[in-house]
Amino acid sequence: MKVALKHYTDLLAKYVRPQWRRVALLGLLIVLSLTLQLAKPQILRIFIDTANGTSHANLGYTALLFMIVALKSSAVTAYSKYVSEDVGWTATNLLRRDVTAHCLSLDMSFQKAHTSGEMIERIDGDVNKLSLFFSQFVMGIVVNVLLLVGVLVLLFHEDYRVGLALSVFAIIAVAVLTLLRDIAVPHWTLDRQQSGLFFGFLTEHLAGTEDIRANGAASYVMKRFYLRLREWLPTRMKAYIAGTTMWSASTFTFTLGNAIAFGFGAYLWRSHAITIGTVYLIVHYTELLRRPIDQIRTQLQELQRASAGITRINELLNIKSKVQDGHGVELTPGPLAIEFENVTFNYEDDDTVLDDISFTLEPGKVLGLLGRTGSGKTTLARLLLRLYDPATGEIRLGGKSIRDPKLTHLRQKVTMVTQDVQLFQATVRENLTFFNNEIPDAKILEILHDLGLDSWLTTLPEGLETMLSSGSAGLSAGEAQLLALARCFLTEPSVVILDEASSRLDPATEQLIERAITKLLHNRTGVIIAHRLDTVERADDILILENGKIVEHGARLELSSNPSSRFSTLLTTGLKELFA
Amino acid sequence: MKAFKLIWRMILYRPVLYFFDGIFWTGVHTFPLLPGLITRLFFNHLTGEAAAGINTWTIIAMLFAVALGRICVILLGAWADSQHRFSMSALLRNNMLTHILKRPGAQAIPCSPGEAVSYFREDAEQAEDAISWTLDIVGNVLFAVVALWILISISARITFFVFVPLVAVMVIFNRATHKIEQYRQASREATAQVTGFLGETFSAVLAIQVAGAEARMVEHLSQLNEERRKLVLKDRAFNLLLDSVSSNAVSLGTGFILILASQAMSTGTFSVGDFALFVYYLDFVTGFSEFFGFFLAHFKQTSVSFDRMAEFLFKSPPAVLVEHNSLHLKGELPAIDVPLHNSTTELKSLEVRDLSFHYPGADRGVNGINLRVKAGEFVVITGRIGSGKSTFLKALLGLVQKDSGTITWNGQDVADPTDFFVPPRTAYASQVPILFSDPVRGNILLGQPEESVNISSAIHSAVLEPDLRQMEHGLDTLVGSRGVKLSGGQVQRVAAARMLARNASLLVFDDLSSALDVETEGLLWERVFKRPNVTCLVVSHRRPALRRADHIIVLKDGQVHDSGKLDELMERCEEMRLLWHG
Repeated sequence: MKVALKHYTDLLAKYVRPQWRRVALLGLLIVLSLTLQLAKPQILRIFIDTANGTSHANLGYTALLFMIVALKSSAVTAYSKYVSEDVGWTATNLLRRDVTAHCLSLDMSFQKAHTSGEMIERIDGDVNKLSLFFSQFVMGIVVNVLLLVGVLVLLFHEDYRVGLALSVFAIIAVAVLTLLRDIAVPHWTLDRQQSGLFFGFLTEHLAGTEDIRANGAASYVMKRFYLRLREWLPTRMKAYIAGTTMWSASTFTFTLGNAIAFGFGAYLWRSHAITIGTVYLIVHYTELLRRPIDQIRTQLQELQRASAGITRINELLNIKSKVQDGHGVELTPGPLAIEFENVTFNYEDDDTVLDDISFTLEPGKVLGLLGRTGSGKTTLARLLLRLYDPATGEIRLGGKSIRDPKLTHLRQKVTMVTQDVQLFQATVRENLTFFNNEIPDAKILEILHDLGLDSWLTTLPEGLETMLSSGSAGLSAGEAQLLALARCFLTEPSVVILDEASSRLDPATEQLIERAITKLLHNRTGVIIAHRLDTVERADDILILENGKIVEHGARLELSSNPSSRFSTLLTTGLKELFA
Repeated sequence: MKAFKLIWRMILYRPVLYFFDGIFWTGVHTFPLLPGLITRLFFNHLTGEAAAGINTWTIIAMLFAVALGRICVILLGAWADSQHRFSMSALLRNNMLTHILKRPGAQAIPCSPGEAVSYFREDAEQAEDAISWTLDIVGNVLFAVVALWILISISARITFFVFVPLVAVMVIFNRATHKIEQYRQASREATAQVTGFLGETFSAVLAIQVAGAEARMVEHLSQLNEERRKLVLKDRAFNLLLDSVSSNAVSLGTGFILILASQAMSTGTFSVGDFALFVYYLDFVTGFSEFFGFFLAHFKQTSVSFDRMAEFLFKSPPAVLVEHNSLHLKGELPAIDVPLHNSTTELKSLEVRDLSFHYPGADRGVNGINLRVKAGEFVVITGRIGSGKSTFLKALLGLVQKDSGTITWNGQDVADPTDFFVPPRTAYASQVPILFSDPVRGNILLGQPEESVNISSAIHSAVLEPDLRQMEHGLDTLVGSRGVKLSGGQVQRVAAARMLARNASLLVFDDLSSALDVETEGLLWERVFKRPNVTCLVVSHRRPALRRADHIIVLKDGQVHDSGKLDELMERCEEMRLLWHG
């Protein structure tokens, strides 16, 4: 698996170019630091030849000069490393942002296939490896290649034969290393895969400690942990050993360089073409080649790891969402009519979940959606939000296909309270507004008041600024659900979907929010997915789903007065609670 | 315990592998002594100061022999080091996870799972590096000692001046270590913020997409990223400054050597070959002191990592982190605990007196709860949201650590509820159960041997059969975050089957029915009650559960408001009527 150079250059261009000023500064620092490094052996040659000559007058100055050059060199090198680190972090932060944005835009079939732990590993872990790419590539490989070239030019300057021989050597060395470059990449990719699986496993089980503990499954979890380790170790060993083949090759290659320097040095010294100081210079410069080549080797190794990261990030970025963003039609303000026309849907290769669904809901009306668990109610709601697109058929809002508006626009117009309420480790305000700081406090407080959450709010030490923990300790599931309802209010939607919104509310609390829901549904189109019949008492229309098909649809009052309807059968069974 | 002691304990974990790893890496680090000597020989040969019988070709042959030797130890070193490193971080991870799984389940980790994973990943890696690098330090020290011995034998006076700057470097490092720790801690915390937030974001991706909040989440991530960048750069800047100090000190030393060598060379007591050797070794000494400084800095950072990992241990001593437990990389895996009943595990009566628990730093919790459950009863705990129903169950089962109160099982005091309330005594289905990336079968069995469990009866009682028929691979369908996404009700039914498969005396349901339709729920209760010797403690506000209850406890504001049979309560308890009628 050879990572095309283009991937590197694309990334560089995209994420480093915006910082060109700092990059230019970096270039300047690098040139300065290289010049100082190359000057050091020249000073040493002068020193040796002077010491071996007749006049020793300037030896002290030469030594002093060496010290000054060495001091400057290390200061400049440190500063340039700092600047490159800064460039690297700035660039990878941009990349992290883009990858996160991309992954968040992907449809649910992607999200279902990846654990959050795996996403951490891929977005932060892989991108961290890429920060090595930025810092290693700029500071390492570029600097070292320049150093290599500088040394060779100066060797040519001494004697073309030495220059030529060591250039050929350098070319061979680089060629050998380049050939070996891709050996380790697949091994590191496998290693990172294993690492992703391992940390995915951990995230999942650290989230499920309650279930594990109370059901006595700790020893089972440990066994699975050991199995993960067993699978990971051989992959890790292969990746390491594959990595060191380059090191071995460079050790051997470099010995060849030393041999060349010794051979030519001895020959030219014997033919009195050069001084002993110059023999020393040649040997020293050849030694100086060790650093760039040695480091190019380790940096290529790091780059190989980064390549594995680049491959995985490109894979990620190349995943196209099955739900394509619309071209930007604006939905009209106010309540919108909902139309389903021959809509069919199935999850990947599964049985049909929705089969030829057609119905219309007038603007401002409320639809009560009934059906057993698994009958397709939730799926129908998700289609309306374009979390998936139907296989065939069309869904329209206010007469316009929902494929046309931008997704953000659509999801601002249509909102849903889901069964699972997710809270973030952030303030109450941020949890309610999804980090939208533009919503004024007054509005938030008003909604919390409507939902009867005032007393809860007063128990919080810092009010809206109180941090909630992601485990939501001290927050009951019902309260969390009320917060989800509050979130829904804040977006001021045109269409509201309440998906089993009341499932975790006790009747007393539910009564408390009835009023709020009435207010929420006022002048809006609503879809209520309910477990209980009193929840659909506010519905204008009733739709009953069974195995993905509509088995009954009509106005609630008509259906309830028609004794042969399923709905009236349900009403007359006396049980106020419904089968579904 | 200091980081040094912890590292020492870890080294003793696999001493043989560590020893061989050390031999190989010492080889890798000391082989470069030889090319220096060969270089000296070369110059002395040119200037006519070498022994007779040496020519340029023999010198070149020596170079190649040394190179081949080094390659051998490099490969052996990679083989040993990869295994040793792996077992070091794996041991820490193993011990942390083992300990976490001994904690009260709802208070097992002090942070979000995403954040915890960053500890498992980075801090364990940090310790792994620290241990692996002790070998490099040994190799480097050996190189330095031999090199110094050779150099002193050539010129003690010149050699001495190499030490002065090195000592100065060490002093500066020791003074700077406090700062390093502080910066490292801050940058690590910033990293944990980023990973924690990413984890939460992708667990909540559905809610985010529904809210159309993608852009704002990304914006918030960018802010956290930016904070991290600043802190990491501070951390790095400090390290770079220290690096630069160390290489400057060595450069000054080099300058002194030049001055001293000039006198010796002028008088002819110091050959060009000697000079070449000095500079060759000095180059390594530079690298050595840089590495040593780096190692010290890293070591300091490692102690931060140990502190962070020790947070998972709560009150246990840090030595627990490095306990020598088997990683089972080979051979039989340890047996999984199979709950077996004996005379004491069967429930006769469970009694709770004055149980109180409060979340740390919050008013919320439960106060002075009393409860009695007898064998064969169906006891329901009800109350409005936030009344403390779930909290009470957690405090009872030891999923959180109760503040006060006594619990007795068959009249015997329960000292440690966390360890006590597990199968075969009790099994539990939480309000929002977590399924793992594994087939349905594995999620139900949780490692119990299939022959010891009546899995089909558990599935039947949990009303999971219709769901399994819908799934393509039935019981072998992969679920969890890497598999098929189940509906909320399906997850709860799998969790119910999981609980029923434990064969426990007391079944504890925390509002299991909340995502089930009433018909399914009714069926579930009916079937659960057909099972022999069933006692249930249930949180619910649903009518089928309340009707079936032998005893109902109404909680309000964390306290028992009233208790009794349904008809009694309906008669006298306003709160009960409110809950019933909605």
